[in-house]
Amino acid sequence: MSLPTLPTTVVGSYSMPGWLERLKTEYFARRISRQELDEIHDAAVKAAIKDQEVCGLDIITDGELRRDNMIDYFAERLPGVQTDHTSKKFYYDFFDSVVRGKLPMASLRLADDFRFLSSFTERGTKFCVTGPHTLVKRIKDEHYKNEEAFAMDLARVMNMELKELTRAGARHIQIDEPYYSGFPEDLQWGVRVLNTLVEGVDAKIALHVCYGNRYGKPSWAGNYRYLFPAILDANIQQLTLEFARRGGEDLELFKENPNKLELGVGVIDVKTHEVETPEIVAERLRKALKFVPPERVFVLPDCGLLHLPREVAFAKLRTMVLGTKIVRKELGG
Amino acid sequence: MILHVKHIPAKQTALAASVASTLVTAAGDGQVQPRLLENLNVHLDWVQYKTNFREAISLRRAVRGEEVLPWIEVGVDLRQVQQESLKTEFVSALNDVADSAQASKKRVYLEPFTPIRSGVIWRFNELFWKHLPLWETASGHGFETALPGGTSDANHPEAIADAVADFWTLLKDLEGHNLLPPEIFALEIGVGTGQRAAAWLNRFRALDRERGTQYYPRIRFLLADYSMATLNRAMEAVSEHRELASFLAVDALDPFKSLSFLRYKVLSIHLTNVYDNLPTDEIVVRDGKLYFVETRAFVNAAHAARICESVGIAPAEFVRTANRLLEVGPQHVLQSNVEQGVKFWRSVWDAIHLEERFVAIQSSLDAPLPPGVKPALLENLIGEGVQNQRFHISSGALESFLNTVPLLHPRGYLQVQDIFVTKFEDYSKMFRGPGKMDGSIVNWVNGALLAEVGAQAGYDVHFAPFHYREGSRTSTLYTTHRE
Repeated sequence: MSLPTLPTTVVGSYSMPGWLERLKTEYFARRISRQELDEIHDAAVKAAIKDQEVCGLDIITDGELRRDNMIDYFAERLPGVQTDHTSKKFYYDFFDSVVRGKLPMASLRLADDFRFLSSFTERGTKFCVTGPHTLVKRIKDEHYKNEEAFAMDLARVMNMELKELTRAGARHIQIDEPYYSGFPEDLQWGVRVLNTLVEGVDAKIALHVCYGNRYGKPSWAGNYRYLFPAILDANIQQLTLEFARRGGEDLELFKENPNKLELGVGVIDVKTHEVETPEIVAERLRKALKFVPPERVFVLPDCGLLHLPREVAFAKLRTMVLGTKIVRKELGG
Repeated sequence: MILHVKHIPAKQTALAASVASTLVTAAGDGQVQPRLLENLNVHLDWVQYKTNFREAISLRRAVRGEEVLPWIEVGVDLRQVQQESLKTEFVSALNDVADSAQASKKRVYLEPFTPIRSGVIWRFNELFWKHLPLWETASGHGFETALPGGTSDANHPEAIADAVADFWTLLKDLEGHNLLPPEIFALEIGVGTGQRAAAWLNRFRALDRERGTQYYPRIRFLLADYSMATLNRAMEAVSEHRELASFLAVDALDPFKSLSFLRYKVLSIHLTNVYDNLPTDEIVVRDGKLYFVETRAFVNAAHAARICESVGIAPAEFVRTANRLLEVGPQHVLQSNVEQGVKFWRSVWDAIHLEERFVAIQSSLDAPLPPGVKPALLENLIGEGVQNQRFHISSGALESFLNTVPLLHPRGYLQVQDIFVTKFEDYSKMFRGPGKMDGSIVNWVNGALLAEVGAQAGYDVHFAPFHYREGSRTSTLYTTHRE
């Protein structure tokens, strides 16, 4: 599928409706069944797909509406990870998850969710996966006693899953590693693990690194300087970073560290309900284009949209697309 | 008739027994219509505040739309009740049920029924902070002397020293990770006399010097209040630190509105005795059904006449003059002089009572929650088994909290020293306000609901009793980031 210049997409999640939050929590209170919840998820995902299409995005996701949060969706499926299903009151809480032995190789069945997405849209698609570095920060380790060793085994298991995703047709996979920003000292081994995760995976690999979006607020402060030059050793094709909320100062890093990576430019601040204007989006994009050529720029929000009300998320995506069109026109597209 | 006796102080149990006996006798000797007795619930309370908005005997009705529901609630304040007139007042209050028009003539109303948070009493509260020096001159004492203990717990030196030490540790840790911002923002909302800010800055400077860190010059201490009178006073108190201090007019309900440029930048935010002074609504559960409380402020007609006489205005002018007071302030309300204006203000405030009615709502989904608070939280809080309860929504406190936390740096924290009801069931133990504190209002804050709201906003909310002063009822709310 051919993409226009400056393709637009989301980082992963779409607005989580209040009613779905309530129903997910009802499930944990055992007031609705798994089958009912699955049907609810199917309907919600279809609506999220439609919204993204109407907004005019070039590459869409399933909105990650099946996920309680970025950890549990994987923790529950990872073979060898034990989750205490009584440990959360609200769906968004984290399970108490623990690994007590070496992880066996087995499927996480993510491809089913990708197939569902691709069967309901003709647009380009993307599937997002939480990276091993982030997962080891939230899953208690009682076996490996070493974060890198634990993450490396997670990467091996998940590598098989990424290959399964490509067999199901996934051509664009995004790895989310926000915890890099909280633990910059881990980056060296984080990149080794990342390379194991994506080894032999026949798809465009994007790496998303932000400063956290838990409960719609940042978990850390700082700048992206810590990523360089180590991140240039990662076998990825795209880096997606947040620039809308934090300003474009870190774009200089791409001048200081010449590379061939595509840049996913965050042009929408997901931590405010205020909807940007297309002109602001265009200005943010123009700034990025001073450092990265247009053929290597993708356009995204700073991070997932799940904490925004649906009407705000929708309006922000529309604005993002309109702002991108302004710049495409300036580029002669 | 069903009699409900709340937890009352041990010293007042004999009084409660005597009052209960009198009420049962009155009900039994035929002075009250049997029809009324069938639907009557009487609640005996020891109202904590010496000055408050209740009368000794208060009648409360419930409505659903236009319909007045048959059940009747009578509140008895054991603190105010006079044994010799109790029976008469009780019977009289119940007779008012039958003749509400006649009952209304005994009162001068300052407003129609309205949700508590929108009531006229909050305009009086605002007037107090706006014209604080005038009130203090008339009363002959500073506002803090009205607090239990005669001073604000916020100024306790040991509490301040501990708070400063914790903050310094945070800065040291951030510095260790190379994450200490060049400017270190600390914010205090509701600055009182400014004594706490001054003591905090003094202590911080001393600790910084003692430990050889260079944090003090990087501090940007913001003092925020909606009262210019208070800010001016605080400015004098922190004059030694003027180069680091800024003074900002900020609405405690929405600090973010004025300070949005500090989004995610403030490392420490402190408030003392602010949440208890913010508008709130109340919910009542009776027989498992939910009601929303509406009030209308009134002054007894005879009392209003006396006030008018004392300042030389006609009784017919009472309501108009009270409204004018709220609009132009005590300096200009009466042509005679400022003293008379202040006298009128203080007299009216002293005489104001609230008449209450309960408005039926279908479920907690219909409760008037502030923006950003999900109704499901209230549902979780009330639970399924609660049959009788009355509690604050603490609308203002919730609103303030939600509009403050976006200012916090990812490693920053919020501390709020106040009177919190930390367990929902504790609402049944005693009266939680509103009370009058000098010319202002005080309400306990629904800490249990605040904790739920905090969790949904990504903050774990903890409460620690204030152990620095024996007998203190305040506790300190502090936030940690929720994983």
